[in-house]
Amino acid sequence: MNTKDTNKITTPILVMNDVSKAYPGVQALRRVNLKVLPGEIHGLVGKNGAGKSTLMAVLMGITEPNEGTIEVDGKVFTSMNSKEAINAGIAYVPQHVAMMDSLTVAENILAGELPKNKFGFIDWKKVNLEAEERLKRLNLQLDVTKKVEGLGVAEQTMLAISKALFGNAKLIILDEPTASLSRSDINRLFNFVKSLRDQGVAFVYISHHLEEVFEICDRVTVMRDGRVVDTKYVKDIGIPELVMMMVGEGVEEYTRDSTCTDEIVFVLNNLTRRGYYEDIKLELKKGEIVGLTGLQGCGSEQLGKGLFGLEYRGIGEVKIHGEEFTAMRPIDSFNQGLAYLPQDRYRYGLVGVRPVRENVTYPILNRLVRLINLINRNEEKKIVADYIEGLDIITPNQEQPVRLLSGGNQQKVVFAKLASTKPTVLILHEPTQGVDVRAKMDIFRIIDELAKQGVATVVISSEIRELIGICDRILVMNSGKLTHEYMKGAKDTTPENILTAIEGGIKNHE
Amino acid sequence: MNNLKKIDWMKLLLDNFIWLIVAGVYLYFASNIGGKFSTILNQINILSHAAVLGILVIGQAIVLLTGNFDLSAEGVLSLTTIFAMWLMVEPRKDAGGAMASGLMLHPFIVIPIILILGMLSGWLIGTLITRLKMNNFIVTLAMQLVLRGIAMLISNGQIMTGSPTLFNWLGGKRINGFPVAVGVTLIMYLVVNYLLNHSKFGRELRAVGANRDAAQASGFDPKKTITFAYIISGFMAAFAGWMLLGRLETSISTLGQGMTLETVAASVIGGVSLKGGLGSVGGAFAGVMLLSIIDNGLNLMNVDPFWVQGIRGMIILLALLLEAQKFRYKPKVIHDDVIIATEKTQA
Repeated sequence: MNTKDTNKITTPILVMNDVSKAYPGVQALRRVNLKVLPGEIHGLVGKNGAGKSTLMAVLMGITEPNEGTIEVDGKVFTSMNSKEAINAGIAYVPQHVAMMDSLTVAENILAGELPKNKFGFIDWKKVNLEAEERLKRLNLQLDVTKKVEGLGVAEQTMLAISKALFGNAKLIILDEPTASLSRSDINRLFNFVKSLRDQGVAFVYISHHLEEVFEICDRVTVMRDGRVVDTKYVKDIGIPELVMMMVGEGVEEYTRDSTCTDEIVFVLNNLTRRGYYEDIKLELKKGEIVGLTGLQGCGSEQLGKGLFGLEYRGIGEVKIHGEEFTAMRPIDSFNQGLAYLPQDRYRYGLVGVRPVRENVTYPILNRLVRLINLINRNEEKKIVADYIEGLDIITPNQEQPVRLLSGGNQQKVVFAKLASTKPTVLILHEPTQGVDVRAKMDIFRIIDELAKQGVATVVISSEIRELIGICDRILVMNSGKLTHEYMKGAKDTTPENILTAIEGGIKNHE
Repeated sequence: MNNLKKIDWMKLLLDNFIWLIVAGVYLYFASNIGGKFSTILNQINILSHAAVLGILVIGQAIVLLTGNFDLSAEGVLSLTTIFAMWLMVEPRKDAGGAMASGLMLHPFIVIPIILILGMLSGWLIGTLITRLKMNNFIVTLAMQLVLRGIAMLISNGQIMTGSPTLFNWLGGKRINGFPVAVGVTLIMYLVVNYLLNHSKFGRELRAVGANRDAAQASGFDPKKTITFAYIISGFMAAFAGWMLLGRLETSISTLGQGMTLETVAASVIGGVSLKGGLGSVGGAFAGVMLLSIIDNGLNLMNVDPFWVQGIRGMIILLALLLEAQKFRYKPKVIHDDVIIATEKTQA
């Protein structure tokens, strides 16, 4: 940790000043400020949709920011293309490294500058020697004659880092490098990264695994809703604080009275899809809101998609109002009373270029059709107008393409679409993702209103605080199994307890 | 919120820009060629020139709306005309002449047969693309070659002549000097355009074309929709074959060569997006008219035929340029922040 002392006298390798980026419908970055020093591993954490990817895309020169400046090693840019980014010394090492797999390590290292002998042919002996020499300077031991595809994932990542350094990179962005590594691989990778750090290389380390951030990073920056919440020295904080920063504290909380009745309308019995979820048992009452939370990959996502018919559902009993739920396709699910709000609303939720009016009525066209397939426009307009007013969707008119609405209003259009099918069961996957605080409250109100009308709702979400606010019950899913249950208003229903239950999954898993 | 209600004139202009171009080109020819161009007879000529292409464009536009291509139409057109002749005409006695079946079927039997043939071809293409997940571009291109190849085999590569008068009614008949083909084409456009803008199927087409995953999650069946679009396109191509054969009374297996690209060009000029989901059949008709007027005008101006191709290409490029700019033009995006701000100022 001798680098900590030198930090004070060194100039930062990267300074981002008030960088903003807006896409239609989303403000992805809002006046982001970030400073990375040489000889530092800088963690970058935040939930999905917090703006990390956009930030990295800006750094790599893939996206142009709308405002702000990026200063790399003293050079100031308002925008970069990817070549400028590489020349400035920024290198990106993704989770799955892309290299010339069928060539040897040495060839990959010296690609483009292979030494030639006096006949103009490649001098292979020299290639291997040179490559070994270079790796030795970084204290990395690899068989340079081995093909890259024969290396382990950790070695490939280390090789990619080395290659970037030979290309004079000064700042290396590591994006989820440990996602598919075993513990011993992680240790080797971390030791390598730390030794480079001590030689003065700067790293930006993106990860969902908070323990790792504490293990390897010197400082950590937390992002939320496109903003930088704060940058802290890792030694000054603990995991709970970090989580609080990610989740957000000051947010106004939504509270509601339970509308749960005694009538059971939705039953899952022994639902199993091998590799995703096992033995799911769940009973939902009319007007009840149940939260479902867990780590990414715990199987809740597949459960939602499977029930709706976007993926294979697996074996087991599903009943709505006591009747067997047999739908295999979304249209059948709508008809049998189950509606689903997808997490990725741009891909599954909305047809962006088409108007609000059409998006709302897609699933109920059969009901609006008069003779020879013609749609009753007047009735359609009336229905859509009702939803625009009822859900407070802000749009200039019904004919506005939905891609031009703000994120919150887009989400409300999806809600209008689902509500128009008059569902018995509603499955919501991350309903507040990519939505402004104000619109979030509106969305809770909509969920609440639907529950009052008797809709049984499952909310699949990683927003624990939000779940505590709106749910009658919260279920925790670990590796495909429902492991914990927290009732509304019970003493043990606290964010800390639920977080531990979720994190417990990791420990059991390893 | 008053300012949000304002009509987006720029968008309205861009959406209908193609009709302005059509009018501009028309006026240019009218003022430069004068009498010859403006006669009623020439107006009818322009329209009948547009008829066969117009029918093909209906099919192409429908397929383009789903985000796919149909390059097979001219193959269908060629095969249906040759096949119809094969079923209808008397076999020639001279050696080396084109073959005919000798069945000499009545046109009223032949017409449904070729229309069904076109639909079958479309169904096959749709199935290959949606069920077997083959690439639409390659499948339809290969289909074009296969169909034309069959036509060539049937006809021995020879010209087949002498289609019966009853069959020629659609393509060749004139009522008070006005071609039936033009009337039928115009009615087709009115009906199909209305249906696609008001029917559930029209919604499906555009939803599937613009975002297939979301269309599926909204309760549509993209595979069915795409297959059905190809069936319609096959029907239109066979219909166009009927019309063209009626006008020419003669067929050869190379009939309609090069029309596929014209149908794509006309659709795109008329504002049908190659990405799918945007545009209308009515707009595509503007593209057909533009191509037809240009052909006619250049012809009357005695422009060197070697130049004609190039000039048409330039006009297609220009239209595509406009289309690209249209996509670039984005009306103001509404952000939550902005709305909160405006509400505050109003309050």
